[in-house]
Amino acid sequence: MAAPLELSCWGGGWGLPSVHSDSLVVMAYAKFSGAPLKVNVIDNTWRGSRGDVPVLTTEDNTISQPAKILNFLRKQKYNADYELSAKQGADTLAYIALLEEKLLPAVLHTFWVESDNYFTVTKPWFASRMPFPLSLILPGRMSKGALNRILLTRGEPPLYHLREVEARIYRDAKECLNLLSNRLGTSQFFFGDMPSTLDAYVFGFLAPLYKVRFPKVQLQEHLKQLSNLCRFCDDILNSYFRLSLGGISPAGQETVDANLQKLTQLVNKESNLIEKMDDNLRQSPQLPPRKLPTLKLTPAEEESNSLQRLSP
Amino acid sequence: MCLNNICMSAFLQMCNLPIKVVCRANAEYMSPSGKVPFIHVGNQVVSELGPIVQFVKAKGHSLSDGLDEVQKAEMKAYMELVNNMLLTAELYLQWCDDATVGEITLARYGSPYPWPLNHILAYQKQWEVKRKMKAIGWGNKTLDQVLEDVDQCCQALSQRLGTQPYFFNKHLNIWKFTVHVLSKSGLENFEHYFTIMPTELDALVFGHLYTILTTQMTNDELSEKVKNYSNLLAFCRRIEQHYFGKGSSSIRLS
Repeated sequence: MAAPLELSCWGGGWGLPSVHSDSLVVMAYAKFSGAPLKVNVIDNTWRGSRGDVPVLTTEDNTISQPAKILNFLRKQKYNADYELSAKQGADTLAYIALLEEKLLPAVLHTFWVESDNYFTVTKPWFASRMPFPLSLILPGRMSKGALNRILLTRGEPPLYHLREVEARIYRDAKECLNLLSNRLGTSQFFFGDMPSTLDAYVFGFLAPLYKVRFPKVQLQEHLKQLSNLCRFCDDILNSYFRLSLGGISPAGQETVDANLQKLTQLVNKESNLIEKMDDNLRQSPQLPPRKLPTLKLTPAEEESNSLQRLSP
Repeated sequence: MCLNNICMSAFLQMCNLPIKVVCRANAEYMSPSGKVPFIHVGNQVVSELGPIVQFVKAKGHSLSDGLDEVQKAEMKAYMELVNNMLLTAELYLQWCDDATVGEITLARYGSPYPWPLNHILAYQKQWEVKRKMKAIGWGNKTLDQVLEDVDQCCQALSQRLGTQPYFFNKHLNIWKFTVHVLSKSGLENFEHYFTIMPTELDALVFGHLYTILTTQMTNDELSEKVKNYSNLLAFCRRIEQHYFGKGSSSIRLS
């Protein structure tokens, strides 16, 4: 196995492994290509950087930005596009450009600029995952960065005014969603039966829009009308991110593993006990059957307790 | 600035619409969106390729009517790819590469204005472009990385074009098809109904590649990247000869 690859990214919620588009793109690609990634979710301790998330750390270097991370994974032979033809590879680049130009501004606006959404959902969520006093500064900075990006790429000089741009970016985003829906049609993935880079990007951009509960939802409503795109997101979530469906973040995965281990030990102990009791019964004189009772209660109690802890 | 000019001229030529090109110093301020070039038709003024395509379509001329939904999606996607990669790379080279900026761009941009306006406007534009680069994540890119991106984009375009004359080779000529169906003849000679026509994507790609190939820069690496793809070169020459009627091609071979 290659050297351990660690990915630092924002955590999950609302049924997603991550609510951050870029992080989700990388996680989806890793699942599709079979890359063994150890995911470190950013929490409110001082560990890990929050600069250019997601960040891939290998033995030798750190890589940020999804495009570069995906390139690196491909060079390490984790290639999800192996089966694609040259033309399909070219189409992938084109559609990713379409996503970034047409859909991303509206997604950024929905998450970071629209005041209702930002103050009720986005800011509290991100602030809870940053230590004080970063939680006061960083969300604001991220919001400003998003606004800047929207205005600089879609606004018109010399007056960069948000209101003029809003209508246009949402119209473009809806058109982009329609185009994606037309292109996907009834297939499971964009290029046949196996997921590829384009599927990772589309999933990364659409899934947060689809799942996160916002007060102002015009783009989300539009997306929900395109049933094949919703089906696409749900399929990927169910097939590749099943464990995270209950909202257990990858860090909580470790507690789940620990619980599983404890459970396995208990079950082993219990089965040993049962074997012993069985032996005793066979060897004992023939007596009327009696309940196997009290001896079983204690391990079973512990077992049912740990089962309760596991269920979400 | 001549880049958009070429894209638009190519598009309008492809639609068989006659155009007259006029140069004005205050063109940027005459345009409704602040971008040049723009077209002035009757008492209407429309700027930027997207709205012009819509405007021309509303008047009954369209190059992409024969495409189906999936092809239209592909066309839009490739147009975004060209805007995303090629346009940004050209902007980067013009304004963020110190060698080019110092020798060519500042002088060229400020030339219509007297001192000190030429310096002020040029530096202001440079600051604006650098801000935009930073916002989209190109702020830290080196020239080599930008050239690599351009190469990737050209490779994608080259692969998509293949050996066809234009990007969307065949689309159904609705008029011919309707006439034939109405005349109730059989559906033999189906090929007859498909026309080989360029679309706005061809106009856009031609504009960008032509500009890259013919503009004088301090280093020729950008045009070298494009010249690596022979089908793209042939594509440019073909459109130049067909629509701009130049006898000998002005696109030089390496």
